[in-house]
Amino acid sequence: MDGVMLRLLLPALLLLSTILVVARCDDHGDRSDLVIVGGGEVFTLDPQRMSYLRDMRMGAALYEGLVRLDLDNGGFKPAAARKWDVSSDGLTWVFHLRPESMWSDGSPVTAHDFAWSWLRLLAPDTAADYSNLFFMIKGSRAFWDWRQEQLDEACAGAEGIDGPALWTKAEERFRDTVGIEVLDDYTLRLELEHPVPWLLDLLAFTPASPVHRPTVEGWPREEVRTGVGWHQLEPPPWSSRRFVDFNAKSGRLQQDHRWARPGRLVGNGPYILDAWRYKRDMRLKRSPTWRDPDGVQNNSITTLAMEDPNTAVLAYESGSVDWINGVNVDYRADLVEMARSGKRNDVHIIPAFATDFFSFNCRPELPGGDLNPFADALVRRAFARSVDRSVIVDNVTRLHEPAIATLIPPGSIPGYVSPDGLQHDPDQARADLSEAGWIDRNGDGTLESEDGTSFPVISLLYTTNTPRYKRIALALREQWERVLGVEVELVGRDTKFYKNDLREGDFMIARGSWYGDFGDPTTFLELCRSTDGNNDRGFVDERVDRILDAAAMERDPQARMSMLSELERYLFEEQVPMIPICQIVDIHMYDPESIRGITHHPRQVQSLWNIQRTDRQEAMAQVTSP
Amino acid sequence: MKRGGLPRMIATRLLQLPLILLAIYTITFMLIWIIPGNPLEKPEGRRPPAEIVDAMQARYNLDDPVVFYGDYLSGVSGLDWVLGDREGPVIDFGPSLRHENWTVNEILAAQLPVSILLGLSAVSLACLIGIGAGVLGAVRPGSLLDLGSLLLALVGISLPAFVIGTLLLVIFAVHLGWFPVGGWGEPGHIVLPALALSLPFAAYIARLTRSGMLEELQSDHVRTARAKGMPEYTVVLKHALKNALLPVLSYLGPATAAAMTGSFVVEKVFAVPGVGTHFVDAVLGKDITLILAVVLVYSAMLVLLNLCVDVLYRWIDPRIETAGSMA
Repeated sequence: MDGVMLRLLLPALLLLSTILVVARCDDHGDRSDLVIVGGGEVFTLDPQRMSYLRDMRMGAALYEGLVRLDLDNGGFKPAAARKWDVSSDGLTWVFHLRPESMWSDGSPVTAHDFAWSWLRLLAPDTAADYSNLFFMIKGSRAFWDWRQEQLDEACAGAEGIDGPALWTKAEERFRDTVGIEVLDDYTLRLELEHPVPWLLDLLAFTPASPVHRPTVEGWPREEVRTGVGWHQLEPPPWSSRRFVDFNAKSGRLQQDHRWARPGRLVGNGPYILDAWRYKRDMRLKRSPTWRDPDGVQNNSITTLAMEDPNTAVLAYESGSVDWINGVNVDYRADLVEMARSGKRNDVHIIPAFATDFFSFNCRPELPGGDLNPFADALVRRAFARSVDRSVIVDNVTRLHEPAIATLIPPGSIPGYVSPDGLQHDPDQARADLSEAGWIDRNGDGTLESEDGTSFPVISLLYTTNTPRYKRIALALREQWERVLGVEVELVGRDTKFYKNDLREGDFMIARGSWYGDFGDPTTFLELCRSTDGNNDRGFVDERVDRILDAAAMERDPQARMSMLSELERYLFEEQVPMIPICQIVDIHMYDPESIRGITHHPRQVQSLWNIQRTDRQEAMAQVTSP
Repeated sequence: MKRGGLPRMIATRLLQLPLILLAIYTITFMLIWIIPGNPLEKPEGRRPPAEIVDAMQARYNLDDPVVFYGDYLSGVSGLDWVLGDREGPVIDFGPSLRHENWTVNEILAAQLPVSILLGLSAVSLACLIGIGAGVLGAVRPGSLLDLGSLLLALVGISLPAFVIGTLLLVIFAVHLGWFPVGGWGEPGHIVLPALALSLPFAAYIARLTRSGMLEELQSDHVRTARAKGMPEYTVVLKHALKNALLPVLSYLGPATAAAMTGSFVVEKVFAVPGVGTHFVDAVLGKDITLILAVVLVYSAMLVLLNLCVDVLYRWIDPRIETAGSMA
């Protein structure tokens, strides 16, 4: 061949071969027993700082709280605590820990671990998303405020800030005033501000899991002795703790989260972290110190961070992925059709503990002083009654979600009876609107109020990150225009701008959704409290706040449930701050013949250690038996 | 005078680099601060109470842009390392605001090589495919082969990467099972994404080569070569191709930069853990430290790549040096 061509091709060929060699070196390891795709990268493995479902799913495999949800039978199962006692007033709980529980470094799990981890959870320094869920622990809210004030005062003071000294005081204050007490190494007492019927639910929540103090603070290795709890050791000086220090300006305790890495992370759950590559994959393997080795059905689990939903389905089809947790492809409605008609048995539709709804702006007027027709509950009811949910779930989303007219998915909370809510009723909707004073007075086809003001054009705000909400918004527009004769304008915005509009109350009707955090109606109903941080609607009703307060004090569980049920009726049949559309469903893909142990629990919690691949099991059995 | 021009140009450009980066940093910083949203806020779902949000903001200096600007700059520029305020890496991009278990340095160290590798393989493939198709087409203009390569080039330029990528996946990964569907780590993982990424570049190169070749094949020195009775392949490859490739060479500089930085769709479709996808995610999630870091690193890379191309040019074709110094 000619020299020129060679000279041209040679570098390219050389480059290609180097690339192949380099790529080869980026070792992938063996395939895990179970490969999962589950909606993107994990944000954090620090349980106290978790707030995403996928983070909590991994958290539940790496750590163990006092109790766990019983995914098969409902209720709760002992976990790190083997049993617990409750005082008759429901205010004092005593938990007895298992002496056999161990951290993955071989040291015992003790009551001190929980007390210390909850100090992290309840200190403003950690800034945990879910801190306030735990403010029902006696004195915890006061402790949070006290610590904030202490730091503010120190900043305002003339002399320099002594971060460690302030923190030591805070630790003492926590011990003395917050209702978390270590009775002995294996007994923990919790005191509450008021009875909390869903306390076990909160304790099963991943943010309440314990973390290992020497790991999180980065104690020097020589300080940590195998088999000895850290509470028996003298804590090393702050300067030698690798992952904590104090902000020179604010005095705040600062945490470096690099302890949450393979080889460093110490947990008390069934798995340990074997590998974690940013936005690539995370691999868990069986923990050698787990107290119940027979209860773990697989040796390793890999979760892949595949951001593209199409690729995830293709990977599943090609067999390199066993389970897609949350199928998000555009054609998922077609997959659901196939599952419903029996053509596919590996598409699973799982209703979540979550609701899609549309919020009304309930403020007296819109920003800029414009007329807000939705300040009037009658108008809100008229709009709610015009919505035909069955059309939306059957023809628009085509996922056949349970259409619901209440905020709490009916049947999702044992012992709670859902009210009916406002059903589709076009005639009553028109009557409501007339009663509110909006009538076509001059016969031009549009509505006017008594003083001649025309009904404003309604702007309907939705998010554009998935086509789902645009489709629902289009259907709603059609229904409102047809039934009520109003004009509706669609405003599609990116999530960031949408959040901003919500916060500033700059919308008339906006989409929203809510996932319940614990198995109690208040996890949904608190949204309607006038002071709630997620009350995007600006909905203020003294009666709602009063009933919520009263329910918190009510000791009889049945009476409490009926109070809340009546509250939901009042909210969604009379006040209607939002129009519930449907319960959200999750679509999963896995082969039910070969994968066992995936639960359809509405809280989307999974016990990863219970999941097994039967074909792997058989293959393993064949290898071991001659 | 002309000989001394090259080192001098390199020195000037290198001295300009920090100033350019500072300007880019400042502009990017201001743009990020203007866009609404809060990196600590979850895109979906609940908002923690105000006191928790305040505590989070304070934790990352997000409550004060001036402090943030200064702190970040002294970390990135290595100033606080020089002053001895901090141990660890000289250039510190700080922690990722959204992925708090990682520092931005670690993220870049893991992902930049992937994007570079993918970009380089795509450009090499593009050269192989593009030059080959261009030469074959030019030798027999109007033939089936020529029409075929033109058609391919048209498809390569006009089809978006996610269509090509998904097609390649469906055919070669799912149906034929030759390559894995997505991921990174084995040689097989690189083939399909590199191919998908290379097609638009290959198409462009093919057209450049073809038109260059057509022109060259008509030229006097080629006619002379043929008249001297040289074998056709020597004429084509030695006399015509050499000159026809000059425009391709000048295109390779920007193409390499574009392939390394602009592969985000391909990275997403093939689940390749490169910088592209995560840059887009960072912007959407307003992960300030990560956005700044990627912008700075890419800017530096672009400036340096452009410098390389300019240097190569002068070295290959001295006429450009004259033109350059006169301008």
